[in-house]
Amino acid sequence: MTLTAIYTKHPDYVQRNVAGECILVPIRRTLTEANSIYVLNETGAALWNRIDGQRSAQDIMADFCNEYEVGTDQLAKDFTSLLDDLLSIRAVEEVAR
Amino acid sequence: MIVQDKLTHLPERFPYSCQWEVTCRCNLRCVMCYTDCLNRPDAIRQELATADILRIMDELAEAGTLELCLTGGEPLARPDFFQLYEHAIRCGFLVTVFSNGTLITEAHADHFAALRPHRIEISLHGMTRETFERITLGQGSYDRCLQAIGLLLDRQIPLVLKSTAMTLNYHELLDIKRYVESLSRVHYKLGEEMRPELDGGVAPFQYALSDQDLGDLNRQDPDLWRDACRRESLEPPPCQSGMQRFHIDAYGQLQLCSGNRTQSYDLRTGSFQTGFFEVLPDFACDWKTAPESALIQPTVHHAD
Repeated sequence: MTLTAIYTKHPDYVQRNVAGECILVPIRRTLTEANSIYVLNETGAALWNRIDGQRSAQDIMADFCNEYEVGTDQLAKDFTSLLDDLLSIRAVEEVAR
Repeated sequence: MIVQDKLTHLPERFPYSCQWEVTCRCNLRCVMCYTDCLNRPDAIRQELATADILRIMDELAEAGTLELCLTGGEPLARPDFFQLYEHAIRCGFLVTVFSNGTLITEAHADHFAALRPHRIEISLHGMTRETFERITLGQGSYDRCLQAIGLLLDRQIPLVLKSTAMTLNYHELLDIKRYVESLSRVHYKLGEEMRPELDGGVAPFQYALSDQDLGDLNRQDPDLWRDACRRESLEPPPCQSGMQRFHIDAYGQLQLCSGNRTQSYDLRTGSFQTGFFEVLPDFACDWKTAPESALIQPTVHHAD
């Protein structure tokens, strides 16, 4: 992933809020993910909710820092890890750099 | 991000899992079926309309339901089945379909492959045409069922095959199990419980196996014997129906479970939120008492 890139959510994933957990459910599953769901932690859910196909990862982090008290380095590490995970399951895709 | 196959940390009461009997319609007339008594035109006319089901599904999604089992009757006997199924998938439910398989065409299998279910469970009543169709009373049903299994396997749809043990298929149950074991990645379930028909009829029980026969059957297979021993050694836990699981019948009645329909809440007129959180907790269930306090220990209970 690249921090200057813009990512958009893939329509083949449905976001569910179940008992306080943010879950991504793939609706077009491959065999390897046949019965998988993806659970995001609180930070992951807050970042996921900001991915809009308009703002770069950098802009999203800046927005996040305005709302939460969080170290920039730690946030960059967490967001990079999350985006890598989301890209690997094709829950997001890069639309611009 | 964590990959899971189900959520493990849930509130004690949460509408996590729904079994929804979307119709009592069926193209077969299985002799032990408990819903077939309502497979008649006047009762079918009372079943939920498409729009009602879609609306209630939206309410379930909003409430946080994740697991949705569509059953019947034969769910694919509803002309709108794939409209309901697609809506359920797009709501983000993990959808399981219980089917007799005989209505699944190549086009249907393609549809399932495009929008994959959590799993499909098909009833396989016998390993010979004669036995199978003596149970289903449907000529050609054996071939169509096996064909559907092949179509779903070709598309690597998660599949469970299951049988109800009864006098008519007793002699073929182990053959069915061996057949399922020969298929890769397919699970087998053997049910031993017969239920009265929904109108109170007891006809299914004429096909019930004796405890002796069930014991003999289980002793012939290591897996069945292990499961039987486990059931014998464990105290049945208090019934959890209505806590994280619930049932909706073909007429929109919210109930504790498929096996306990004595009290209902009408989802045609009331909201799911009210029904689940305010009404269902007051529904009676004989199996909710902790086993320690019961004088007589039940060996089985009706939970799904």
